[in-house]
Amino acid sequence: MPVSDISFLAIDLELTSLDVTTSQITSAGWVSGRAGDIDLDSAYYQVVKTSSSLEQSPVIHGLTADTVAQGCHVSDVLDALMPFAGTHIWVFHNARLDTGVLDKALRENGRSLDNIVVLDTLKYAVYQLEKQHQVLPPNSATLTVCRQRLGLPLAPAHNALDDALATLQLWFAQYYTYNGGTKNVTIDDFLSIHVAKCKKMGKKS
Amino acid sequence: MSAMAQQVKDFLTVSAPFDSLSDDQQQKLCKGASLLYLTQDNISDVTGAHKGRVFLIQNGQFSVKDSSDSERHLSEGDFFGYPAVMDNTRYPLTVSVDKPGLVFSFTAEAFAHTLSIPDVNAFFENSRQNALQNQALAASNSMWLYKALADVIDNAPVTAIESTSIQQAASVMTEQRVSSLLITSDNKLSGIVTDRDLRSRVVASGIDVDLPVSEIMTANPARIANNRTMFDAMALMSEKNIHHLPVVDRVSREPIGMLTASDIIRHQRGNVLFIIGELAKAESLYELTRLSWQLPHYFAAHAKRAGDFDIAGKVLSQATDIMTRKLIRFYQRDHGDAPMGYCWLVYGSQAREDQTMGSDQDNGLLLERKPDEAQAAWFADMADYVCQGLGKCGIKLCDGNIMASNPDLRLALDDAIEEARGWVNAPTSEAIMHFNIFLDVRGVAGDLGLFRQLQQARAPLLKQKMFLAALARHNNEVPVPLSMFQKFVYQKGHSKKDCIDLKVHAIAIINNIIRIYALANEVMVPSTPARLANMPANSGLSTRDGQNLRDIWLFLNRLRWRHQLTQNVTDNLVSVSELSSIEKHQLKAAFKAIERSQQAAVMAFSGGMG
Repeated sequence: MPVSDISFLAIDLELTSLDVTTSQITSAGWVSGRAGDIDLDSAYYQVVKTSSSLEQSPVIHGLTADTVAQGCHVSDVLDALMPFAGTHIWVFHNARLDTGVLDKALRENGRSLDNIVVLDTLKYAVYQLEKQHQVLPPNSATLTVCRQRLGLPLAPAHNALDDALATLQLWFAQYYTYNGGTKNVTIDDFLSIHVAKCKKMGKKS
Repeated sequence: MSAMAQQVKDFLTVSAPFDSLSDDQQQKLCKGASLLYLTQDNISDVTGAHKGRVFLIQNGQFSVKDSSDSERHLSEGDFFGYPAVMDNTRYPLTVSVDKPGLVFSFTAEAFAHTLSIPDVNAFFENSRQNALQNQALAASNSMWLYKALADVIDNAPVTAIESTSIQQAASVMTEQRVSSLLITSDNKLSGIVTDRDLRSRVVASGIDVDLPVSEIMTANPARIANNRTMFDAMALMSEKNIHHLPVVDRVSREPIGMLTASDIIRHQRGNVLFIIGELAKAESLYELTRLSWQLPHYFAAHAKRAGDFDIAGKVLSQATDIMTRKLIRFYQRDHGDAPMGYCWLVYGSQAREDQTMGSDQDNGLLLERKPDEAQAAWFADMADYVCQGLGKCGIKLCDGNIMASNPDLRLALDDAIEEARGWVNAPTSEAIMHFNIFLDVRGVAGDLGLFRQLQQARAPLLKQKMFLAALARHNNEVPVPLSMFQKFVYQKGHSKKDCIDLKVHAIAIINNIIRIYALANEVMVPSTPARLANMPANSGLSTRDGQNLRDIWLFLNRLRWRHQLTQNVTDNLVSVSELSSIEKHQLKAAFKAIERSQQAAVMAFSGGMG
């Protein structure tokens, strides 16, 4: 299937820490699109009620204990997200952390997902940068810097929905910048360079 | 209901006219909306899946044809696709990508819905006609009417209690030099007494002046709260046919002042004009400088509305005229009368009456004939005194030495005519840069008949075709600060990254264009709006273009006055970030219109040879 016919869902999770083993989801946002066309009606944002300490989260994401206490249970977010598993390729900027936490949350809530295709815009950026640089310049692959490089406007960072939207814009900009004019690019081309991966998540069956 | 990303909200909030939408209206507009990353590869979606929609560019550059008009080059903040919705017609849409970027796509229904908001509707109607919104201009003449009374009443109220005798009341009024007195009981307003009451109810009827004033006062008079406007006060005064209206505190109802018919006349004349009256009374250089230095404060304190900015340049020029006349008089008081007829001329912005706080003095002297040595010395001394005096009054000395104190600018009438012949014979670019300023000229003091003779002798010279052609070509050399994709081009080498010199790159261009038409038609007045108003019907400039240029000129002047007063500076470097998003759009439209007129002038006067 050519990439231009595939639906993508960019997801961003805001977490209590950067440690997969202890981190919890404080909010989630996503938005879907296809062939450069982002459907603003699909935008989703939800604050999650978490038991563990918020640590640095209030500082970075602006989520305070009060807001988090009014949030929903993480299983509600998972329920909303799971229908996109078979239909969309999931896009993250730095997938490792977010999919790790997602995997843990699915397991803890007794859910599982097979054959999710996960695409990482950070990996794609690094792949392109490595063509030009032996050693990558510091901070050359953050979401903001990657967007700047492709001429996208500044976007407010560290809100789950805004980061998801920014990630999806980045993906489309990357796709068209590096593959523009070429027909028949498929997702296999991204699997082969390890920018996309098939994943199983959640409890082992 | 779906969530709305902050970046979407942020962008709409800076995108005229959607910046005026409430949160709820923004939500409705975004229903069914998409954000497209538009490249040459998926451009067909715009005419395919997104057919009939309205687009707003967030970034990137596109060439678009979306109506029967010609192709437009668009970028950040520009709309396309809306003519089809507004006209309910299917115009074929062609878009080509010059630089890929993000473009919002709104459904036709959601967009049509926002057109029910008058400001939004007016915005799109006006974008189509490429005209500036000039409602504000029409309203500006009546701005003073909407001043709150609290801002108008400044003197403490003159009051007396009810038991005061008639005679005491009359003597209070005489002492305080007022024509009416507020009568109170328990600090509340209970009545008023006017000069007329004293005449008709006391003197004419021979009543005992030791009686309490409450006997003759108008009890329970009409009154108005201090949060109402001048307009409300005037309406009430004409309705009741009264000349004195007590103003009371909105909450405590205690009297805080009296509004009289003469107060209203004073405000009607325009607040800023007041200073001119004061200047005219100055009797010494010291008094004159003291008052002149109040001018900037006066403008900063009183010029708040668009209409005030429109007359500010004129007020400042008239103030400078008065200073000049005063200084000449002071000089003559000490040194006797001039040895021959002369006229004090002013050039440039003072002549055009569009001075700003940063304008320096540009002046010269026209003499009846060649002076002998003693006469020349008299004029040299006077010019020096007046120019230095103006400097002391805060009108900067001219860097380019275009001042009467410069002997080259004290010409006899015949030499001045000869000088003009020199301009006309060799209008090189360099020469034009030098003499352009002298083409806007006004006589301010001395023998104005002398100045008229000069103008009449010069008019036929200055309307020669070759000369006008050179002026039009020269004016075409300054570009408006817009790139091919309608983006602002900012001044280089300034600490502010996003500033535009509105004088050099816009206002001066309009002045130049209008000057050329004025010279061609022998319109003698120097001010740009006045030249436009006096242009004959067959001037070559259409009425519509003329009106459009006048509106643009006023708009730009307004922006730079506001810039100077709010930023407390004297330059013309307006930062685009100082402007509201609707002003940014208006500014772009203004630049485009100026560019068209620039080219039209080249067509009209030099046969298209730019």
